[in-house]
Amino acid sequence: MGQRTSNEQVLQGTLDLLILKTLSIAPMHGWGLTRRIEQLSQDVLRVGQGSIYPALVRIEQRGWIDTEWRTTENGRRAKYYRLTAAGRRALGTELASWQRFVDAVGLVLAAEG
Amino acid sequence: MLHHGRAALARLFELFRDRSRVDAEQAEEIRFHIEMETAENIRCGMTEAEARRAALLRFGGQQRFEEETRDARGLVVVDNLARDARYALRRIVRAPAFAIGVIATLGVGLGTAVGIGAIVYGVLLRDLPFASPVQLVRIGFHTDGLAESNDLHSPPTFIHFAESGRSFSDLGAYSTSDAFALTDGAVAERVTVAMMSPSTFDLLGVRPLLGALFERRDTSWVSDQLLPVLISQEIWERRYGADPTIIGRRIEIDHGARVVIGILPRAFKFPRPSVSVWYPSALNVGNPQITTRHLTVIGRLRDGATIAQAQAELNTLVPALSTRFPQITSELLQQSRARVSVESLKSATAAPVRTQLILLGVLVAVILVIATTNVVNLFLLRTERTGHEIAIALSLGAGRLALAQRFVVEGVVLGLASGFVAIPAAALALSTKFGFTEREIPRLHEVSFTAGIIALIVACAALIGGMVGCIGLLRAGRAGLSDRLRASRASSSPRWRRARNGLVAVQVAIALTLLVAAALLGRSFWNLQSAHIGFEPANAMTFQAPLPWGAYRSYAEQAVFHARLQDRLAGFPGVTAVGGALHLPLRGRGALGYDLQLRASNDASRPTVPGTGNLANSDYFRSLGVPIRAGRSFQPGDLRGAPAVVLSERLAISIFGTTDVLGRSVTKLSPRPDIPSTTFRVVGVVGDVQRERIEDGYTPMAYFPLLQDGDGLPADSRPVPYRPTELQYVIRGTELPDAPAIQQIVRELDFRVPAANIRTLDSIVDDATAHVRLTMLLIAVAGAAALLLGVIGVYSVISYTAGERIREFGIRLAVGAAPKGIGLMVLGDGLKLVTVGTIAGLAAAFSLTSFLRSLLYEVAPTSIAEFAGATVLLVAVTLIAILLPARRAAGTQPAIVLRGE
Repeated sequence: MGQRTSNEQVLQGTLDLLILKTLSIAPMHGWGLTRRIEQLSQDVLRVGQGSIYPALVRIEQRGWIDTEWRTTENGRRAKYYRLTAAGRRALGTELASWQRFVDAVGLVLAAEG
Repeated sequence: MLHHGRAALARLFELFRDRSRVDAEQAEEIRFHIEMETAENIRCGMTEAEARRAALLRFGGQQRFEEETRDARGLVVVDNLARDARYALRRIVRAPAFAIGVIATLGVGLGTAVGIGAIVYGVLLRDLPFASPVQLVRIGFHTDGLAESNDLHSPPTFIHFAESGRSFSDLGAYSTSDAFALTDGAVAERVTVAMMSPSTFDLLGVRPLLGALFERRDTSWVSDQLLPVLISQEIWERRYGADPTIIGRRIEIDHGARVVIGILPRAFKFPRPSVSVWYPSALNVGNPQITTRHLTVIGRLRDGATIAQAQAELNTLVPALSTRFPQITSELLQQSRARVSVESLKSATAAPVRTQLILLGVLVAVILVIATTNVVNLFLLRTERTGHEIAIALSLGAGRLALAQRFVVEGVVLGLASGFVAIPAAALALSTKFGFTEREIPRLHEVSFTAGIIALIVACAALIGGMVGCIGLLRAGRAGLSDRLRASRASSSPRWRRARNGLVAVQVAIALTLLVAAALLGRSFWNLQSAHIGFEPANAMTFQAPLPWGAYRSYAEQAVFHARLQDRLAGFPGVTAVGGALHLPLRGRGALGYDLQLRASNDASRPTVPGTGNLANSDYFRSLGVPIRAGRSFQPGDLRGAPAVVLSERLAISIFGTTDVLGRSVTKLSPRPDIPSTTFRVVGVVGDVQRERIEDGYTPMAYFPLLQDGDGLPADSRPVPYRPTELQYVIRGTELPDAPAIQQIVRELDFRVPAANIRTLDSIVDDATAHVRLTMLLIAVAGAAALLLGVIGVYSVISYTAGERIREFGIRLAVGAAPKGIGLMVLGDGLKLVTVGTIAGLAAAFSLTSFLRSLLYEVAPTSIAEFAGATVLLVAVTLIAILLPARRAAGTQPAIVLRGE
């Protein structure tokens, strides 16, 4: 549809991977997700809070996550996201390809000139 | 792959989800997020206002968020539709010639096709407007062994089958007559009356608008008591001011009073739309016979009974006719090869015009094919031209799907725009009905321009537009990106060139087929026009004057009225002759009655021959312009002794074997054994005329005298076989009276007599050629359109192909090729195309023109002259379309072309 630079797509791919990985630990709502990613990355990665929801919708449409309205521990209604079986498999594939990417970049950077 | 499909499905699903609910959920999710973030910020030590502001800031622009989630949800498809439609409109405005071409072609094509299609559907296919119409059948009674070859019934056959037939729940019989007039009030009015058996109304399931229908015992109308009639809603409103007290009141029809018992609703137009009064049918079996028949019989099949069963059953009942009616002997039944046919009423109604309607249906298909073909062609050429633009769009990352959508939307927008042309075109076609009337096509009144037709046009326009867009898309999607950029102006793929050439060849073939058909019909029309009709139609007019029943009882009384009217008419300035006869030539198909059996009185070796009888006054032949070949017309005294007769040449020859027949005697055989045959002496021989249609050839005609006062014979004598109850007048002159003047004169003589059907003789001749003329014009218009479109197709394809090869031509010229050779190359390409199309067209015409046979007059469906003429015209015109681009190619300037690349 729209036109995106390849750069954006890489970032987007990374965000998807981060979401999948984080949700594989436990189901959680959108805000929790952003917080958890920041915590896990020790505040190195600042997730654009506005862009996490489009990413969630996209991932949901691929069938990798399910949604459910639940009550939080302090009694608020919130939309929770949970990894599906397909999502778990996708996480495996994405992790593998990410690893390949990191290795490849590493090789290039390690090259001696 | 799998999750792609799934994602697509999910997007599709999103499109149909309740959008407001989705939005509400989203809003709630955002609110939750902001509140959590605000709370977190407060926990970190901010004030509440600060915390909230920071949370909102961190979340980012609301606008962007909404756009992105929407995009992800697939709502973008809907938004893009609007954008693509705007884009399509911009493109259309930018290339108006292309758009006008598409819109005009598709609009006219679709409009005409839907218009004709609606008529074909309404007449051939649509259910009759009655309850359970599939059970309705027409029952024909055929006597192939007799001269009378219609499929009508006489009262005994109807009564027999109605009482004995087990396959039917009911049978009904009817006939119609134009020879009645409403004579109450100030102005007598001619009406068409249907005489129907009361059962007919029941089996058709009709209900009166007001009042009641006939009862089963109302089966006679020749009687002294007051008799019931039904009248149409139309005449009730127009003539009787929609007065509900008309029920039970008397109205005057011809000679006597009738009681109106009911009004039939406007929608009931059976058997014909012109009928405005219904009588209960007279089923008189005083003289049972099967030789003269006038009843149309219809029936309703019992539940479960089939047409084949019903027909088999009725045929087994035929021999029993002679048991019930001894006068109808079993020898007569055998000799006449009496048999019964059962056909669905729908198909029986459409039977007389089925061939023409199927032809029209084919025409619809052809028009649509031509229109669509041309639009496809225009799209293909345009795609070629905008190929560069598409390639750039693809390279900039435009998705295939988005591009597809853009093409289809452009097609649909153009299609819908063509609807603005198609809808008025269809409305025009259906309001004029191409000049056809009820006389030529039954059930035409049921066809009208409806909202359904508008919907159909819009749907078809969008569908065809979308399809055409898809074809453009295939073309664009086919070539790889790099191919397209590299070869954008060089040449198109051979496959698509072939497809385009094929389309143009098909157009040429269709154009040729239609041209051949138009040429054959044109020749037929010419033959009909120049056929010898035996009378002079110019400077003459006619009208009919039916006398009220019973008021003028004898031949003599009626003759006196006519003599007076004739004198009054002759008094108009400029009138040179006033003739009168029972019927005029060229009355059209289905002219009823007046059949005679005649033979030479004094020569036993001569056979009995059939002829058609007529009455004529002394001025009739002069007024009509029929030449007197020998002897004279009638004069006073001709009824005394053996009455006089005038024979047409053809009849004279078939009776006597010669036209030298003056003074000889002719015997008219009596149709009934209880009446003696009568003898007439021949006083004149006149030229031949055609009774029904020009195609049917000359009618052997015997004219009996219509004289002033019945020659002073006693009032009750019947000197000739017919009485002049209704006379057709012919007025010839240098100056002719107008309709009101004629009506005035007739009314002055007797206010109960209407002057009806006032028209020129020319219009009668026109009518006789109308069926051929209309079909010819339709096909000629379609042929001309096909030729024009074909020529445009040839021109555009050849000039486009030449344009593609211009570099090649430049190189060839640069290395020394003759410009003439280049021109010949292009010419050769074009000729190949035209040759293929011409051969295909000739083959199609050869196998299809036999469908026209019933419309052709004195020309064979495979007539060489018409085939050759049409081919020459086509080739000549297409040659011009090829020569123009060929000349341009020959004039290529190599230096300019090569530098330009």
